[in-house]
Amino acid sequence: MLLFRSEGHVSAWLAGRPPGATVPLPRLVELADAWYGDRLDPGWTPRTRAESQAILERLGLSGPFWELG
Amino acid sequence: MDRADIELRNATYRRFADLGRAPSAGEVGEAVGRSEGDVRAGWRRLHDAHALVLDEGDRIRMANPFSAVPSAYRVRAAGRDWYANCAWDALGIGAALHADSSIDTACPDCREPIRLDMRDGRPSTSDPVFHVLVPAASWWDDIGYT
Repeated sequence: MLLFRSEGHVSAWLAGRPPGATVPLPRLVELADAWYGDRLDPGWTPRTRAESQAILERLGLSGPFWELG
Repeated sequence: MDRADIELRNATYRRFADLGRAPSAGEVGEAVGRSEGDVRAGWRRLHDAHALVLDEGDRIRMANPFSAVPSAYRVRAAGRDWYANCAWDALGIGAALHADSSIDTACPDCREPIRLDMRDGRPSTSDPVFHVLVPAASWWDDIGYT
């Protein structure tokens, strides 16, 4: 889960390997907020898999690649 | 994950944030009134439930988004320096602390530095992109690699 200067640098780094998924920075910001915003809450409880999947889907991260285990 | 383990997990995270580093089993035990052995056994269950990650010595390795060991993602937030496990977690540290943050890393391709300042939830630049190589179903197969 890496941060690159641009999509061109992702392609160069992959050097022909099959890509995973590329996410624009503004969406990663939203994802980090939704995923981690409650991590230090005193009453934190674990999310279900379905709840985590819903976070991804709400941000447009759907399809087989984003299917949680 | 039962109620006692959730409380242990929350106490562990709280100690991590308070200390600015991973707490030892003894430190958490002292905070929650449990023996070090009890804490270690609970941490093992939390590790198996993917609520935190232990190293081979059963010490905290990750309390996502925080990394207990230096990484390529350095984060300055809430008056402290932290390490994150990955780019996602680097942004997650400011989110978890509800604080502005500054992230320093380097492009894995060209090694040029990347500096990202987060102020009021907004990044100082939108140029960098995030790439995930491993499909979500396999993230926990080897979380260190992911």
